[in-house]
Amino acid sequence: MSAVLCEQQAKPLVSLRNLNKHYGDFAAVDDISLDIQDGEFLTFLGSSGSGKSTTLSMLAGFETPSSGEILVNGASLVNVPPHKRDIGMVFQRYSLFPHLSVRDNIAFPLAIRKRSAAERDRQVDAMLKLVQLDSFAQRRPAQLSGGQQQRVAIARALVYEPRILLMDEPLGALDKKLREDLQDELRQLHRRLGITIVYVTHDQEEAMRLSQRIAIFSHGKIVGLGTGYDLYQNPPNAFVASFLGNSNFLRVKAHGNGAASFEGQPLAMRLTPGLAEGQEVLLMVRPEKALALSAEQAAREALPAGWNEVTARVGEVLFLGESQTCSVVTHGGTAMTVKALSAAGMPMQPGDSVKVRWAVADACVYSQWAPSDLNKAAGAH
Amino acid sequence: MLLTPNAMSRRLRLGLYTTTGVIALFLLLPIVFIVLLSFGSSQWLVFPPPGWTLKWYGQFFSNAEWMEAALASLKVALLTTVFAVALGLPIAFALVRGRFPGREMLYGLFTLPMIVPLVIIAVAVYALFLKLGYTGTLFSFVVSHVIVALPFTIISIINSLKLFDQSIEDAAVICGASRLQAIVKVTFPAIRPGMIAGALFAFLVSWDEVVLSVMMASPNLQTLPVKMWTTLRQDLTPVIAVASTLLIGLSVLVMMIAAALRRRNPVSA
Repeated sequence: MSAVLCEQQAKPLVSLRNLNKHYGDFAAVDDISLDIQDGEFLTFLGSSGSGKSTTLSMLAGFETPSSGEILVNGASLVNVPPHKRDIGMVFQRYSLFPHLSVRDNIAFPLAIRKRSAAERDRQVDAMLKLVQLDSFAQRRPAQLSGGQQQRVAIARALVYEPRILLMDEPLGALDKKLREDLQDELRQLHRRLGITIVYVTHDQEEAMRLSQRIAIFSHGKIVGLGTGYDLYQNPPNAFVASFLGNSNFLRVKAHGNGAASFEGQPLAMRLTPGLAEGQEVLLMVRPEKALALSAEQAAREALPAGWNEVTARVGEVLFLGESQTCSVVTHGGTAMTVKALSAAGMPMQPGDSVKVRWAVADACVYSQWAPSDLNKAAGAH
Repeated sequence: MLLTPNAMSRRLRLGLYTTTGVIALFLLLPIVFIVLLSFGSSQWLVFPPPGWTLKWYGQFFSNAEWMEAALASLKVALLTTVFAVALGLPIAFALVRGRFPGREMLYGLFTLPMIVPLVIIAVAVYALFLKLGYTGTLFSFVVSHVIVALPFTIISIINSLKLFDQSIEDAAVICGASRLQAIVKVTFPAIRPGMIAGALFAFLVSWDEVVLSVMMASPNLQTLPVKMWTTLRQDLTPVIAVASTLLIGLSVLVMMIAAALRRRNPVSA
């Protein structure tokens, strides 16, 4: 109870209020409202053209909103030029000053602020230590690897102790291994400094790895907001379900209290208020939440209470290392994928008849969706 | 006998070397001749020179008219350089960064002097300055030279500005620098090779410009190429070869500086 009260009392550091950015008739950002808490690591996740980078640009001040408000601690930022916003930013292509040494790059914000030489040296030294580049201080950016350059960019963005750090796909240009190392460094850095970070990426795994909350962007709107866990386990809508991870969608007809029919066969589903008799609804089951059982297995293990079962035919079984997937088609023609850890085994062959089972509680129910929501590539204009 | 591929490529290479050598010789020979003649003892520009002397250099440097012309050339070229860069810089920024209707046309307008025959520009500028009473002034020299030097400066700066990642400038702004501070402290150093190349081009264009200069010249103010031109019509003295050698010498020096800069900064310029 007290936690809830605290959350209500906590004032957000940044508030976006009905933010819009139009280019002619085109709405790049469409009426976004969002509160960012002090000290939070929030990620804008979306495909390119979904409005996430434009929103970040408006926060930085490089784009002016067509309408709406950006408030920091309750004061409007809209008419403050970018160099007076006291915001740190890390760019996708590092954007270091090529003619300056690592030390002078990091010292640049302090030099602009006319800090004394002694203070400058002290703070730059602290930053070099923080990003573990002490021995590279005299090098030029071109003499550093991509990962080192990005660490310099982070140090440059943090040295003047901004309240907010914006990061625009900062790790996009790095290879996978290095990216994961820097993600871990970044998460630790955030914990240590307690700074508010707004991070933009199109990589959902990166978003999950880094952030406390994720805002999912699509067509200039925020279509999902919450922790990675909640968004994945209980997607607020079919788009988020399809965008994050993999999903099986079953079209069913609702019948009364928690009951439905799928391809003529009765199923149980979560109690969902406001459904009309005979209304078409969508069930979403994550592949790893579903089980595929061969006919003998199904005969041996009775269907537990609170589970559904449908019959399907195996199309393909794929071995993916730590996991295996089995794609099946129901007799009504609905394609499903079942995923299991390799250790659990998957003794089916293509063409086998299998029983696909899932727990009623694990299937999300959507009463409204657009056909394009179920298309993974959707989200951009 | 059939040639092996190796022998064939060797022959091909030999042929290429020879052709290249002949063309280079053809282009360079007149310059070599002029330089040699400036040191030749014959008054009639006989080649090969019967003997060697520095006499003509002495005559050149002790002649007030030649010295004045050389000084005027240097002054005009330096002023042209300053104005071409000072104007070219904001024009290049507007043409690269600006989002306004007619931008392409404006680019065409600024680079037009590269395409329009020089004589036409010369006549037009001459007619204008005649009407305003500015012919024969330093001002008319510099203005007419800036017109023809500007396209080179603009193109050179545009090229390096297009290669410059603007997010680096944005990074300076978010670090607390105003847009102007960011341009001066970050963008200018990054596009410096382009700016220097543009300046060198402007200098060279003005330094050996003759068509416009002949029109603008007056008895009290003429540049080195004009003085050579008028002298040439009266008598064929080896002093002209000296003037040519000095003209070529400074041009080569400027080109070498440009090449050295390009090597140090291969991305831009």
